[in-house]
Amino acid sequence: MRAGTRPSAGMVVAYLALAVYAAISLYPFAWMVSGAFKNRLEILEGGNLIPRSPTLDTLVDTWGRLNFFDYFLNSLKVTGLTVLGVLVVYSLASYAFAMIEFPGRRAIFWFFVALLFVPSITVLLPLTILESRLGILGTHIGLVLPFVNGTAPLTVLLLTNAFRAIPRELHDAARADGAGEVRIFLRVYLPLVRPTLITVAVLTAVPTWNEYPLSRVSLNEESRYTLPLALEQLASGNVPSYNEIMAGSLILVVPVIVLFLALQRYFVNGLSGAVKE
Amino acid sequence: MTAYLTETPPAAARPKAAVKRRARRKTRQWLVGYAFIAPAVVLFLVMGLYTLGYSVTLSFAKWNGFSPSWDWVGLKNYHDLLYADPRLAPEVQRAALNTGVAMVAVSAGTVLIALPLAVLLNSIRRLRGLLRSVYFLPYVTTGIAVYYAWRYVLEPDGAINLALRSIGLGSLARPQGFLGDPDTALPALIVVMIWGSVPVAMLLYLAGLQAIDPSLMEAAAMDGAGTVRRVRHITWPLLVPITVAIVLLSLRDTMQGFQIFLIMTNGGPAGHTEVLGLKAYQQAFMQSMSPTLGVASALGWLIFVAALLLAVLNARLLRGTR
Repeated sequence: MRAGTRPSAGMVVAYLALAVYAAISLYPFAWMVSGAFKNRLEILEGGNLIPRSPTLDTLVDTWGRLNFFDYFLNSLKVTGLTVLGVLVVYSLASYAFAMIEFPGRRAIFWFFVALLFVPSITVLLPLTILESRLGILGTHIGLVLPFVNGTAPLTVLLLTNAFRAIPRELHDAARADGAGEVRIFLRVYLPLVRPTLITVAVLTAVPTWNEYPLSRVSLNEESRYTLPLALEQLASGNVPSYNEIMAGSLILVVPVIVLFLALQRYFVNGLSGAVKE
Repeated sequence: MTAYLTETPPAAARPKAAVKRRARRKTRQWLVGYAFIAPAVVLFLVMGLYTLGYSVTLSFAKWNGFSPSWDWVGLKNYHDLLYADPRLAPEVQRAALNTGVAMVAVSAGTVLIALPLAVLLNSIRRLRGLLRSVYFLPYVTTGIAVYYAWRYVLEPDGAINLALRSIGLGSLARPQGFLGDPDTALPALIVVMIWGSVPVAMLLYLAGLQAIDPSLMEAAAMDGAGTVRRVRHITWPLLVPITVAIVLLSLRDTMQGFQIFLIMTNGGPAGHTEVLGLKAYQQAFMQSMSPTLGVASALGWLIFVAALLLAVLNARLLRGTR
């Protein structure tokens, strides 16, 4: 509040209420950070939010000795490949849905969108059976392919709308200049939908990074574990220690939080766009 | 077509060639279109359609995942789940009840928190951006890491119990921890789910509120409309479709989501947090050798049918409010 202008009582109450919910929003994170900086003894006492003797040992230990660095790289690989796959496969498809006339276009488009209503639990089991037949169960590709396919409804919806929003004259002018569809797609249209591509990338990256059920039932070799699985393994050990679990959790959430803070505006646009459909 | 013909004077030979060329160009265009969608379609045929078909077929059979052949049982899996099996049907009913309770509580809680939050956030100038980011963190981090953090604070000696004792509300503390106590396990999970679904709801409300034209409000105020009337006739009609969308979104997410249950309680204590998605997961992956894969698929499809009904309801309601 600026000096001189007295805040009204209503404003004080508003800020107070907002501050309370901010605290609730941050509550588990505060304890996550607190736990990650406690040692094995202090974690057992619970209670104090601020560690008496904050230590980096737990984090260093989890990162190094417990191999979280390797799991981090695995997660990065799976998430990176999924995002790449989604961008390539569905920007091509969405461009065709928006710009190219061909028989069955509408039907196929709506088919993709209708898949939004299939719960993941319904296909989880047959997916693992299919993958074990194809020999990709338990590999990172075995995760990436269904992850990419799983984003289809939302991604196709967002990208097709983005392509449709570009004036068609641009397409026809490029055609008249003798450019082929591939060239128009790559040179003219793809750069114009860049914001939507980033939105799609972040909306894909976050759930993929956090994904647990499919990874759990398919990965069985420890060297291929992603962070969520590594965390679960840590927690289901004989003597699970919450300081290590919180350190692992922190390693898992920090990259997502950084990504979110850097690309916040794309999240907001994407989510409001997705729900409007 | 006709315009093209009239523009080309030597009418005898040209049209045929032109039509042919056009047809060829059209076929070419179709092929280009199909080539563009081919990767997406192939991926869907393999990862999507095949698994869906397989799952439907399996729901009419009994199989343990290892034996070479399936035993066809027709609709028996569905009958067993819904009423026939004396052991399974009550479990499914209980899980359905818990799922229903969670669906209603989560969507109601989400609206009741997100709407006032958005209204307040919309009324302030300072710190709005910062607060919005803070409120949004639960959404981006939702998953196993956050669930463990909640488990940590809900433990018998966790932060929440200790806080309650230290402020003299020790009677509210739960000696077995909130997740270990049959009375508080489901409510605790519901609170965590609301915590996770408020961000998107708040964001949608905020976007809706910001879309209201301020000059409309000013005009109404000048015409003598008080706050109550302005809210009732301008703000509320705009927020109704958003509320419908939010409610249906969280109904769907709660019905299909089982991750939080799997990680935080795995259905316990003594089945008090059993839900349909978790039940299907257990039947599919935690029965080792018993032939429950068909039942698991059938349950998956029952959840699908429920999701579809919700989607139809969604479309109906949204059309009604527009």
